[in-house]
Amino acid sequence: MFNFARFAATRAAMALVTLVIVSLVVFSLMELVPGDCAERYLAYKNTQGQAITLADIEAERVRLGLDKPFLQRWVSWLGGAFQGDFGESCILRVDIAQLLGSKFWISLSVCLGALMLAYAIAIPVGIISAASRNAALNNVLRVLSYLGLALPNFLLALMIMLFATVYYGNTLTGLFSPEYKDAPWSWDKFVDLAKHAWLPVFILGWSATAFALQTVRALMSDEIGKLYVTAASARGVFGMRLLWRYPARHALGPIVNSLGFDLNRIFNELPVVALILTLTEAGSLLLEALARSNDQQLAGAIIFLLTASIVTLNFATDVLLAAIDPRVRKSILR
Amino acid sequence: MGDATLETSPDRSSKKKEAYFTASQGQLIWARFKKQKTAMVAAVVLVVLVLSGLFAPFLSPYDPTVAGRDKDYLNGAPQIPQFCDKNGCSIVPFVHPVTRERSIETNFRWVEKVNEDERVHMVFFVKGDRYKLFGFIPGSLHLFGMEEGKIHLFGTDSAGKDIFSRTLHAVWTSLQVGTIGVLISFVLALVIGGVSGYYGGWLDSIVQMITDAIRTVPAIPLFMAIAAFVPADWSAEMRFFFISMILGLIGWPTLARRVRTHLLTERNQEYVLAAQLCGASGGHIIRRHLLPSFTSYIIVDLVISFPYMVLSETALSFIGLGLKDPVNSLGVMLQNVTKADVLLNYHWYFIPVFFFITLVLAFVFVGDGLRDAADPYAEAKK
Repeated sequence: MFNFARFAATRAAMALVTLVIVSLVVFSLMELVPGDCAERYLAYKNTQGQAITLADIEAERVRLGLDKPFLQRWVSWLGGAFQGDFGESCILRVDIAQLLGSKFWISLSVCLGALMLAYAIAIPVGIISAASRNAALNNVLRVLSYLGLALPNFLLALMIMLFATVYYGNTLTGLFSPEYKDAPWSWDKFVDLAKHAWLPVFILGWSATAFALQTVRALMSDEIGKLYVTAASARGVFGMRLLWRYPARHALGPIVNSLGFDLNRIFNELPVVALILTLTEAGSLLLEALARSNDQQLAGAIIFLLTASIVTLNFATDVLLAAIDPRVRKSILR
Repeated sequence: MGDATLETSPDRSSKKKEAYFTASQGQLIWARFKKQKTAMVAAVVLVVLVLSGLFAPFLSPYDPTVAGRDKDYLNGAPQIPQFCDKNGCSIVPFVHPVTRERSIETNFRWVEKVNEDERVHMVFFVKGDRYKLFGFIPGSLHLFGMEEGKIHLFGTDSAGKDIFSRTLHAVWTSLQVGTIGVLISFVLALVIGGVSGYYGGWLDSIVQMITDAIRTVPAIPLFMAIAAFVPADWSAEMRFFFISMILGLIGWPTLARRVRTHLLTERNQEYVLAAQLCGASGGHIIRRHLLPSFTSYIIVDLVISFPYMVLSETALSFIGLGLKDPVNSLGVMLQNVTKADVLLNYHWYFIPVFFFITLVLAFVFVGDGLRDAADPYAEAKK
């Protein structure tokens, strides 16, 4: 028990260090974007008919603290980020925490849903594909899963929308029905969200399936040839029972371990799908902030929240694995 | 081994056995690969696609850029060569010429009329638009063309560019982007993963932490931040190389981790110890023992990461950060499909999509097949 606590503490410290490194990367990236917040805001004011001088820009810089050295700004940004305070958006001039609100959590749930869907398909199919010698079944399952990868998800989204519009007269876009859009959270609103969210979850999940399937299949076929599996089948264990109780247990370890990175991969595709399905959530906000308005503060906040979720998920899965498997505990503590 | 023992005639069996035991790693992999039907089919498809991309200038009848456009046939439907029509048959395939007209009768919209009584025959090995094969061999010979006018197997787009020609060139561009991206990420992965795995210890821990941190940053914002630096006046070629470089610079962590894990386990194997005991030098061990032990894995990983590179290119092009229209890449072709009037009226824009799907599927299945073939324990299983 003491050992386990020590493992969890070490792992938590490592997660924190990773998060700090990542935040430095994210913060530098946001700095690299040409121009800064002060210039952008005043450029906007300029279009509104106000005359802007260089002195105004300097004054705005001082007000935003942009005149301080890079490291100092990073530390204060990081400090705020850990308390959930990301400052103001460059363009929209509103508090980012307020602007994002529940949007980030909706995006995260959509991505997690897609992740679950992907593994719900990939694990059984991968096991069957690695173990079965039924070539026809095997190939059909693999083609179906890989199609998710080969069909670009924006195209898939478009086709489904077109189909739904032509045959059902419903465009399937958005995340909420109009009457729930600004309503406070309630059970009905949640049900409404679920009714709309299945499409992005399905599209993202299908395209994530291929990668998951390749991993499951490779790990399973590595494990299945090992002697302990032969020994178990010699003792009379067979079929799915054999696969589940012996090789699958070992094969699934590394998969649980990399769930965080899978989440990252799925979130990557979210902006594209969000763009087509006109979802109003963090993915489309991110695309908006990065590609159109160059809103560094907003983009930085979204990316930071996402990386924090990934690091947290990685930490949780590691601790979970360590609780099940003593070998994992020993790999970090020597 | 299963094969060798199945043989009944002792003479042939011993020969086969000898061939088996003296076979190189490459021969063994090829022998196992040949047994997998799906992977073989995928490999054939892949080779056909690569070749058609490589010889695209020769195989496609027209120049894929605006230079080769057909200004009399904008947004034209595909023309399928036929051998027979109501007036009888011909040995040389032909199409019916199309005339477009716009007048008060057609409500001032372009209307196409197929003249079924006339025939325009196809000709083969015909001189046409100039091109440079492989980028340096000049030529103007095309596999096929028409006696007069132009033929568009896959139709034309809104500028009158031949979609068949564009598709073949696009396959080649996307393969190039993928190759450059994969090569860059491969070199980075080999160096970083190699150092981390070979030396191990604290260096390994630090490198792994940095790798993990980079893997945690989502790629799309990374792309966007970098793409923000691309000046708008860069030429299409510059953009193209820049995009492939970025793809490579971002794609290395997964591969680096695999190389590292493999080196970590391999350097403690008995055969390395045996070589060391025989007095082999470090360089000799790495070259003759360690590298051969995982080249096959590396090749497999390269093939598997290829479609992901092509996919990233399409995703980037789709959000408008990748390649742009005068360049013919599959991403650009896919982007054209998303316009509403294309979805409803010009279905032949979708033809490149099938090429894209086929390319990705072929890569994935060849990758799977190679992985199974490269696994030396695969035969013991069956």
